[in-house]
Amino acid sequence: MANLILDDICVRFGGLQALTDVAFTVNEGEVVGLIGPNGAGKTTVFNVITGVYKASSGKVSYDGTTITGLRPYQVLSMGVARTFQNIRLFQNMTALENCMVAQHSRSRTGVVGAVLRSPGQRREEAKIIEESRRALEFMGLGKVMDEVASNLPYGHQRRLEIARALASEPKTILLDEPAAGLNPAESMELMRDIGRITELGINVLMVEHDMKVVMGICNRIVVLDHGVMIAEGLPEDIQRNPDVIEAYLGQ
Amino acid sequence: MKRLLVLAVALAALGLFLAGCGEEKKADQVLKLGTMSPLTGPYAADGNDIRQGAEIAAEVFMEAGGIPGYSNIEVIPQDTACDPKQAVAAANKLINEKVTGVVGAYCSSSTIPASETLAEENIIMLTPASTNPKVTERGLPYMFRTCGRDDHQAPAAVKFMKDVEGVKTIFIVDDKTTYSQGLAEGVAMAAKEAGIEVLEHDHVNQGDKDYSAVLTKVKAANPDLFYISLQNSATGALMVIQARRMGVTAILMGQDAVYHPKLIEIAKGDAEGMFCTFGAIDKDAPSYKEFLTKYKAKSGNEPGAYSAYSFDSATAYLMAVKAAGTTDPVKVRDELLKLDFTGASKHIKYQENGDSGSNYTVYKIQDGTFTPYWNSLTGEKY
Amino acid sequence: MDFEFFIQQLINGITLGGVYALIALGYTMVYGIIQLINFAHGEFFAAGGYMGVILISYLASQGLHPYACLAIALVLAMGYCALLAMAVEQLAYKPLRNASRLAALLSALGMSIFLQNGLMLTQGVYDKAYPTEITSGGFHWGLISVSYMQIFIVALTASLLVGLNVLVFKTRIGRAMRATAQDKVMSALVGINSNRIIAVTFAIGAGLAAAAGIMVGLYYGSVSYTMGFVPGIKAFAAAVLGGIGNITGAMIGGLIIGMVEIFAAGYISGEYKDVFAFIILIGVLYFKPTGIMGENVDDTRV
Repeated sequence: MANLILDDICVRFGGLQALTDVAFTVNEGEVVGLIGPNGAGKTTVFNVITGVYKASSGKVSYDGTTITGLRPYQVLSMGVARTFQNIRLFQNMTALENCMVAQHSRSRTGVVGAVLRSPGQRREEAKIIEESRRALEFMGLGKVMDEVASNLPYGHQRRLEIARALASEPKTILLDEPAAGLNPAESMELMRDIGRITELGINVLMVEHDMKVVMGICNRIVVLDHGVMIAEGLPEDIQRNPDVIEAYLGQ
Repeated sequence: MKRLLVLAVALAALGLFLAGCGEEKKADQVLKLGTMSPLTGPYAADGNDIRQGAEIAAEVFMEAGGIPGYSNIEVIPQDTACDPKQAVAAANKLINEKVTGVVGAYCSSSTIPASETLAEENIIMLTPASTNPKVTERGLPYMFRTCGRDDHQAPAAVKFMKDVEGVKTIFIVDDKTTYSQGLAEGVAMAAKEAGIEVLEHDHVNQGDKDYSAVLTKVKAANPDLFYISLQNSATGALMVIQARRMGVTAILMGQDAVYHPKLIEIAKGDAEGMFCTFGAIDKDAPSYKEFLTKYKAKSGNEPGAYSAYSFDSATAYLMAVKAAGTTDPVKVRDELLKLDFTGASKHIKYQENGDSGSNYTVYKIQDGTFTPYWNSLTGEKY
Repeated sequence: MDFEFFIQQLINGITLGGVYALIALGYTMVYGIIQLINFAHGEFFAAGGYMGVILISYLASQGLHPYACLAIALVLAMGYCALLAMAVEQLAYKPLRNASRLAALLSALGMSIFLQNGLMLTQGVYDKAYPTEITSGGFHWGLISVSYMQIFIVALTASLLVGLNVLVFKTRIGRAMRATAQDKVMSALVGINSNRIIAVTFAIGAGLAAAAGIMVGLYYGSVSYTMGFVPGIKAFAAAVLGGIGNITGAMIGGLIIGMVEIFAAGYISGEYKDVFAFIILIGVLYFKPTGIMGENVDDTRV
């Protein structure tokens, strides 16, 4: 029962009110779209969930546990992984290593065990490689896993971001504009991939500007404008919502 | 950054305040004797011996009746770190503390600049350890020296090499301090005059631990004798250990700065057979035995190389003040020149220039101790 | 003869360079991960040397075999310095993680002075002698002599360097270190506790420095509380020469500085050996400001 619940989240930066009383949920098996004009606070929502920013008030809970105030690595070990709008891969590592890093919180071996190459460490290392390979293959990157990340073509780097998130064995994935910079064919493929991710039992919260992608795969949509939720509902309702149209056209 | 600045100002203010408090407490006839020596840094070992020697001299002097008119003798130690700049700062600090006499410093390169600062205030300075000739050759009236001089030490060492050991070739290494290099150059010059060939005169840096490169050269040059002029017994020990490990078979010879029990403690068996020049201290003399008993009882440790010289320097000053009945530098100087006594280190009779004569003896390290081996004054073996 | 002289100096250079490399690694790893020049690093080296002599003397007095003493003392001293480094990091650097780099740098300088004086107050101003009996002896061929101690130093250095490479490039801790060095925020978002990894980095660097401290103590016969300063500066120069932040670079830099010093002392004069070491440093930085392994090949950064 992977539920992400945001409860009246407010975020202030000095005098700037970035988010005001944002409250919504992402339920099991759902794909939720988070949309809004530029500067609406979408990425801020992601940062609050993952512990990068602290909420000024309100609370985030996950699977019935409060996760506000947890550090990013703790949020991840709860099962919430994330990708970035501007790609933030570990550029000097191979695709495989990028995924292996994400297994950090799912493994234990310390310094001593690692240097001595204990049987436990070897077993664990084998498991890490196995999981990482599976994530890469899932995203269609099996053939390039030994390439250094910075040498991969853009589309592959986007996919690698998602593969890295999957490699951390999440129950929820936050995707920040996964279709940005992709051509229509790649976007179509991405939509199919997101569908397959949900089939793994992972629910998705996604920020996206490409309305075709959003309308195509989201079960529900949350609309933010200037840090305030102005609408929430099914895609077809949102498309007809006058406030949403106003927010986008007024821009 | 702003907070740092505020903190700095606050600290400075606090410092001033504390200094102000210090001024308040007027000395009620306490005789203030300063010491200057490296209490930190690589020469801290000898430096602390000097501080301790003076402190114990003051205690012993007080127990023996003290000085009429003075309720106590206070010893104020200052750290020079064997650094000329810090030595001058230490001298200024002692001037502010209103000391009337100073025992110190250790490194000649500290003693020389510090003595000039002290001379401006007519403060008497007695060095227990600075052997560079310049210390007493600048015409400073209040500069005294209880130890010997390098221009006596160098010829004594060379005479020993030639007459006793029949050395024909030597290799010299120093570590570039006023003292160590000055002495090494003295040895090189005296050796040439004596017809000993100086194969090479090389230098190392202070703070070095690895002498393998220079020792490989020594080994290749294969001299009869390897003369080690380092500022410190611990580095001397490193040189000796590495030389023997490298297979240098030459006779090893050091000087008064490497003459220290620590040399043997660290170098152990590798130091066996090494020679060192140092002032002749008669360890069987009653004056030395008395010093040794008191020193051990008060400090809980064995005296170092310069403990006795420092003890004697402080004692000489206190005796002169007692005789003069005042700390007036002119009168104390007169009394110092009149002194003629047997101290812990040697018989002390200061000359007009402040020197007290050299009595260099060559010691040989045998069975883990420095054993007197040859006396430069008599030219005889013990 | 000349050839033997050269070979001997080469052996001397490798030994000294190995020691510098071990110390340089700590500087470079810490710099790589938090961009701090840890001036207190030389003191970990000194503390390791002291811990070594205390432990070896104690264990020897318990009647243990000399080599067993050495092995146990090595492990314990490395562990001790690792803990010490973590404490220093926690106390002096972590609170300043988000402060200006100058503040952290000053804190590092202060820590260096504090540790050095702490060592002086607790261990005394006199040099402490190492029980060198266990390491005496060696091989001699003509002019060339190689002591067992040199072989031991080179062998231990090499195995520590190999161990470190395995750790950094082949294990989860190493991956986490590289990830944290590249992008602290992102590494946190993939589940890495960066504070832990930073602490571990300090610990590893200090452990290596402690090993170097013990080897220096054994090789040169004594340790002193000021011993961290000069090798610290040299090792820092080695780290910069190799490209600060780069592990392979630190190893290469250490060897180069050691070699240059020995050869300058051997063929020119001991007086100028530091001058030549720094001329090489300046020369390299003039043509390659990021150091030998800096810039393009920074995938080995930690």
